Amino acid sequence: MKTDRELIEEFQRGSDAAFNELVRKYLDLVYGFFQKITSDKMEAEDLAQTVFIKLFKALKKFRFESEFNTYLYRVNVNTANTYFKRNKWRNMLHLDQVPDTGYVETSREKEWRKEEVWAAVGRLPTKQRLVVMMRISQALPFKDIGNILDITEGSAKVNYHHGIKRVKLLLGNNQ
Amino acid sequence: MNFEAKLRKTFSSDGEILDPDQFINKLTSARYAQALKRSQVISGYLALTVILFVGIFGFNELDQGAILMEGNYYYSTSTDFDQGEDTEYFNDLALYIIEQEEDIWMAFSFLDEVEYDNIINIMEEES
Repeated sequence: MKTDRELIEEFQRGSDAAFNELVRKYLDLVYGFFQKITSDKMEAEDLAQTVFIKLFKALKKFRFESEFNTYLYRVNVNTANTYFKRNKWRNMLHLDQVPDTGYVETSREKEWRKEEVWAAVGRLPTKQRLVVMMRISQALPFKDIGNILDITEGSAKVNYHHGIKRVKLLLGNNQ
Repeated sequence: MNFEAKLRKTFSSDGEILDPDQFINKLTSARYAQALKRSQVISGYLALTVILFVGIFGFNELDQGAILMEGNYYYSTSTDFDQGEDTEYFNDLALYIIEQEEDIWMAFSFLDEVEYDNIINIMEEES
């Protein structure tokens, strides 16, 4: 089986088949990432498609200064960030429209919907949002998150701490 | 269960897999569609630039030599001839008049007549 580097080099020499092989290799990872962020399968597929179109353009000039994995995560995160920005107002509205069922849930009973969580994450400042997004959806170690976002491991931890605190508040969990 | 674990649990049920071949087909079509759109936008801009260039150039060409008199634009027909040769010819004529008649004012009035002759003719025809 060819390595990522070999596939990218082949693609840079003009082989679309090599790019398709890369798509096959990373489709589950990319689609899985967006599936956790959106509640709509079609939207997740569209976002995955956006990522691969970006890669198709960018890999032609890829200089292997970073690992392809890290680079792919960066593209994923940036695409997700754009998606959050685009849906910020919509998410805010969703978060504020809590249906009144006349039943008061205790914090232990409460289970959140994915949309609620992402709407809250979408309201965080950019860096906190990115760190929280990667941590809760991909369970990535802080060291990897730091590498992807080009920040230190400590900074990733601090941003996560502040971000998660705010998400907790927004979701109304005061445990 | 702590808050983080609870959050992760929200996403735990996901795990649907896409058909790679179908996805690649869609991706290829999307790439082609995007490239087509891009080339259409580029050719649109090019066409617009050409139209603007031709428009501005044409307007300047048509606008040259227009003289506004009594609210109407009059165009000098002398542009039909070679401007350089024309001027030289009239200069010679003017010099000839000065040499022959020794009257500079006559030469001035001749040059004045030459310049506005066509316009005066048009105005006379209209009236």
